[in-house]
Amino acid sequence: MKIPAVLIVILAILIGTLPYFFNCQYDGKALTLENGRQVPMKCYWTAQASLAVAVPLLVVGLLIAFSRQKETLRALALVGAILGIMVILLPTRLIGVCQHPGASCNLVMKPALIFAGSLVISVSLVGLVISRRSVE
Amino acid sequence: MTLLQLAWKNVVGSAFRSWIVFLCVLVVTALLFSTVLVIRGAQDSLRLVQQRLGADVVVVPEGTETQVETALLMGQPVAVWMPRENLDRIAGIPGVAIVTPQLYLASLANAPCCSAEMFLMAFDPQTDFTITPWLSQNLGHELGLGEAIGGSDVFVPYGEENIRIYGYEIDLSGNLERTGTGLDTALFFTFETAREVAQVSRTKAVRPLEIPSDSISAALARVVPGADPRLVALQIVHDVPGVAAIPSSGLFQTFHRQISGLLRSVLAILGITSVLSLVLVGLVFSMAANERRRETGVMRALGATHGAVLRSLLAEAIILAFGGGITGILLAALAIYLFRNLIVLSLGLSFLFPSFPSLVALGGGGLVLALAGVTLAVLPPALRTCRQDPAVAMRE
Repeated sequence: MKIPAVLIVILAILIGTLPYFFNCQYDGKALTLENGRQVPMKCYWTAQASLAVAVPLLVVGLLIAFSRQKETLRALALVGAILGIMVILLPTRLIGVCQHPGASCNLVMKPALIFAGSLVISVSLVGLVISRRSVE
Repeated sequence: MTLLQLAWKNVVGSAFRSWIVFLCVLVVTALLFSTVLVIRGAQDSLRLVQQRLGADVVVVPEGTETQVETALLMGQPVAVWMPRENLDRIAGIPGVAIVTPQLYLASLANAPCCSAEMFLMAFDPQTDFTITPWLSQNLGHELGLGEAIGGSDVFVPYGEENIRIYGYEIDLSGNLERTGTGLDTALFFTFETAREVAQVSRTKAVRPLEIPSDSISAALARVVPGADPRLVALQIVHDVPGVAAIPSSGLFQTFHRQISGLLRSVLAILGITSVLSLVLVGLVFSMAANERRRETGVMRALGATHGAVLRSLLAEAIILAFGGGITGILLAALAIYLFRNLIVLSLGLSFLFPSFPSLVALGGGGLVLALAGVTLAVLPPALRTCRQDPAVAMRE
């Protein structure tokens, strides 16, 4: 289970950091309200939420690396897969990104989160299968 | 125990070796497959734009060929003009069946009078043969004053009812199918609407939209059946001063050359990477075969034939190549699909993701290549192992 654990840790770091650099707020763009006040766009909140999902995912990866009990590994792999689904849902359904197809959140953040989320799900499922053979 | 079960036990039993072979195949297959997808997608996209334009000859002001091609492919706004009277001259050339004018305009960036910076294309509905047939098929009516049709990526901004161009509210009637080019972010409307926008822009826009009178940006011509578009293009250049005529076969040649150049350099790098990876796979299996000489000696002593030992080693390699190949192809396809817009912007190429059947065919080809490559790399150490004398092998 060392390799899946390392992969999950790497992916969690990417999920937590990448959206921070590829959102419209970081590019200096914001929504201007009628009263002139500027507020962050949707993608900024997706980036914040990604960080909130990445931290528990990182912990899951570290726990998988150091756990030896079959049941624990199985439970951690399941949690990893669910967090992977959340990573995909954040930019696609739960919060979303900006409308403009040329914005950095659409060009990089959204595809990167979907790609990383899919990898987290796949690696967690592989981990789930491997955990069936792990020694208690 | 069957041959496959034996091979699978060996794969699981030597996890480190298996991971190395698996990752080598995965990386090489993913790189090769993604390169083929990008090149294929760029070629498909160019073909689709040529079909969408539907013109046999495109006539533009002399010296602006590349600018116009870039505008059509990458959606970069362009301002080129030639006299409208050229239309009559082109129409009078033998071999020309129909000719239609187009205006190429651009909205303003970061201006409150424009929703977004866009490439705007105005056409004459009376003679147009590029947008109008699509309109009658999909919308059921022609575009009226103040109406527009957008590329696949054009949308009405959130919270608004229309698209604002130079302070003029344009009603988005529908979207064209995706082409993977700049046309996906372009807005198409009639000459009448263009003139109306120019009129309104004088009072409502940060900067007025200037359309020189009696000028057009390009003329698209269709030739009569049997006429050679290249000869007609030559005749147009000869008879109409100050224009360049590009036959459809010569359109986007700069981009075709760019794709060919990219293909050559990437394939050279990938060729070297593939050979090195296959050598590594061969070495790993050679080391594994040496480690397992006693094991294969015992198998031979128990009655296994040369062929059975060879098949078990090859089955092991094929399992790893299959797993690595499939994973590499799936990852590459997913990555290219998700990052397609970024690829278009970074490489400066138009790109259209291949259809599912074409994707499956390309993936199948990639997998066969991966399996063949790994089998070839593993064959020499496998042959050496199965040919050795069992008694000698067991003693060592």
